[in-house]
Amino acid sequence: MFPTPIHQRPIVNQYVYKIFLPISLIIWLIPIFGILMTSIRGLGDITAGNMWGTPSEFLLFSNLYDVFTNTPMIKYTLNSFKVTIPTMLGAVALSCMTGFALANYKFKTNLIIFFIFIAGNFVPFQILMIPVRDLTFKIGLYNTITGLVLFHVAFQTGFCTLFMRNFIKALPQELIEAARMDGASEFRIFWKIILPLTRPAIAALCVLIFTFIWNDYFWATVLIQGDHAMPITAGLKSLNGQWITAYHLLSTGSIVAAIPPVIMFFLMQKHFIAGLTLGATKG
Amino acid sequence: MKKVIISLIMMFGIISSTSFAGTLVINTDTSDAAPKEAFEYIIKKFEEENPDVTVKWNVFDHEGYKQSIRNFLNTDPPDVANWYAGNRMLPFVRAGLFEDVSDIWKDSGWVDGNLSENMEHAKKSMTIGGKQWGIPYTYYQWGVYYRKDLFTANGISVPKTWDDFVAACATLKAAGITPITIGSKYLWTTAGVFDYLNLRTNGYEFHMDLTLGKVPYTDPKVQAVFDKWDELVKPGYFLENHAALSWQEALTPMVNGEAAMYVMGNFAVAPLKEAGLRDSNLGFFQFPEITPGIPMAEEAPTDTVHIPSKAKNKTDAKRFLIFMSRADVQEEINKILGQLPINKNSSVKKGDPFLKAGLNMLNNAYAMAQFYDRDAPAQMASEGMKGFQEYMSNPDRRQKILERLEKVRQKVYK
Repeated sequence: MFPTPIHQRPIVNQYVYKIFLPISLIIWLIPIFGILMTSIRGLGDITAGNMWGTPSEFLLFSNLYDVFTNTPMIKYTLNSFKVTIPTMLGAVALSCMTGFALANYKFKTNLIIFFIFIAGNFVPFQILMIPVRDLTFKIGLYNTITGLVLFHVAFQTGFCTLFMRNFIKALPQELIEAARMDGASEFRIFWKIILPLTRPAIAALCVLIFTFIWNDYFWATVLIQGDHAMPITAGLKSLNGQWITAYHLLSTGSIVAAIPPVIMFFLMQKHFIAGLTLGATKG
Repeated sequence: MKKVIISLIMMFGIISSTSFAGTLVINTDTSDAAPKEAFEYIIKKFEEENPDVTVKWNVFDHEGYKQSIRNFLNTDPPDVANWYAGNRMLPFVRAGLFEDVSDIWKDSGWVDGNLSENMEHAKKSMTIGGKQWGIPYTYYQWGVYYRKDLFTANGISVPKTWDDFVAACATLKAAGITPITIGSKYLWTTAGVFDYLNLRTNGYEFHMDLTLGKVPYTDPKVQAVFDKWDELVKPGYFLENHAALSWQEALTPMVNGEAAMYVMGNFAVAPLKEAGLRDSNLGFFQFPEITPGIPMAEEAPTDTVHIPSKAKNKTDAKRFLIFMSRADVQEEINKILGQLPINKNSSVKKGDPFLKAGLNMLNNAYAMAQFYDRDAPAQMASEGMKGFQEYMSNPDRRQKILERLEKVRQKVYK
C-alpha cells in the first residue's frame, strides 16, 4: 500500500530523485518567495518593473505600518478569529457526536445518513451561492458573523463526520462492549472512552477546519458586506488604493493573514500527522 | 415606576425631535482612503460653521454604491448624495430623482459671488434640459504625460497639432523608443484615446451625441476618428503587448525610458514619481489639436453632489451644496484628494506643475467630457471599450467592429 522507500530503489532512481526533489521544491516555493520579496519593496520598485531584483529600499516595516493603519486590518483579523474559532468548535463537536452514532449504532438508515453526509462534500459550493444568500437574508443573518459561522458549521460537518466516523469505527469494539457490560451509560462511553481515544483525530480536524475557514474568501464575500464582519481574507482588497493596485501592501497583508494558520499547524503538528495516518493502517 | 417610564418616553421624544430638526443625511461612495478623509474634513467644517445642523453621514462601498443609489433614491432618500456629472446623472434626472438646483447656480447673493461665472466651464456637464442638477466639487485632467528627457534627446518639442504629434511618434519610433505606452488589459485606457480623438476630430457636441446614442457608429465622422487612430496604430506607435498589461504595468516602460508618452489621467503622476521620475524628466501636455477651429474640450471626470428630489431636509441640503461650491472649501477638499477644484477662485497646491497645468487647461476648456464609460450607458461602454481594444490589436477588423457596435447601440438605446 505504501510506496517502496527510496533507498530500496535502483541507484539511478535515487539520483533522479535527489536531483528533482530540490528543483520541484524551488518551483513550488517561488510564488511564496515572490510574495516575501514584494512585501519588502516599495511601490516605486514595482512600477519600475523591479519584481525579482534586489529591492532598492527595505520597506517591510513601513509596509506593515501602512497595512495596520490605512485599513481596519486589526478588526478584520479579529473578525477572522470570531468566524474561525466558533466554526471549528461547532463543526468538531457536532461531528464527534454524529461520528460516534454512525460508527456504533446499527439502525436501518445508518448507511443512508452516512452517505448523505458524504454526498454533501461533493456539492460544489458555488451552486449554493444564491440559495444560501437568500436563506441567510430571510432568516435575518445576512451580513452577520453568526450567519457565516452557522453556514460554515453546516457545510464542514459533512466532511468532519466522514473523518470521525471512520476513525471511531476503527477503534477496538471490545472497549465499548466492556464498558457497556460494566453498566456505563451511552453518554459516559462517549465522554470517557471515545473522546480520549479520538484526541489525535480531533486535533487534526481542528487544524484542518481552522485552515479551511481562515482561508475562506468565497463565502466571506458572498455573505458579508461591511467592514464590521469582514474577515481578513476578503478585507485584504481594501489595501488597494483608489487607482493603484498596491501589490506591496497586498503581499505584506497576505503574509500577516497567513501567520495564524501556520502557527496553528506547527503547534498541532504532532497530532496532525498522527491523526491523518492512524486510521489508515487498520484499513 | 409608570411615571418614570412616561417621563423617559417624553424625554426621548424631546431629544429625538430636536435632533431631527437639523439633521442632514449625506450618502457618499467615498470608501477609499483619500476621498473618505476629504469628506470627514468637510463635514466637520460644515458642522462647525452651521452649529444648528447635525450631519449623519453614510459611507457606501465604492462599487456597491452604483447599485445602492438606485434603491435609496427611491425608498430611503438622504438629503445629499454624491454622484458623477454628465450623462451618468441623466437616468436619475429623467426619472425625477434629482432636485433642480438651477437657483444655486443663478444666485449671486452669497459669499462667493456668481457661481455660474466661477464654474462656467463645468456648467455644461451639470446641465440637462437647460437646468442644473448638482454641484461639482472635484475633477482631474486627462492628457498626455511624457518623458521630457527623451523628447529633448530626440529634438522633439511639445506637439501642438496632430501632424507634429504623428511626426514626434515617427521620430521616437525610429530611435527605438515606443512612442506611446498603454495597458489595455482592463479596456478602459483605450477609451481615453478614443475620447480625445473624437473630441479633437469632431468636437464636444458630436462626442456627446455619440455617447447619447444619437449617431450611428458607422457614421463617416466616426470613421474619420478611426482614420486618425489608424495613423498611430498601423505604424505600431503604441506599446506592442498592450492587451496583456494593466494600466499600472504599462507605466514600467515609461519609467525605464523605453516608452515616451502615455495618454492618461493625472493619477498616473504619483506612481511614476514614486518609481523615480522627477519634474525635470516627466511632463504633461494637452492632447494636440486635430481639426483646426474646433473648440478644445477636455476629458475631466467630475464628482458631484446632488439633492434627491424626495429629500426631507432640502433647506440644509442646499446650504451644504452652496458650501461645497465655495472656493476655499473646494481648495481644501482637493488638497486632500490631490485633484483639481472646479471653482476658478480656488488655487492648488503650490509646486505641483501637473496640477497647475491641469488647472490652467481645464479653467479654459470649452467643455468637459466625463470619460467614455461615464458618458455612455454601462452596456454600450463595455461593448465599446472591448471594440476599441480589439481594434488596437487588429486594426484591420475596424469595419466589423464598428458594425457590431452599431448593433449594440440600436439595442441599448431603444
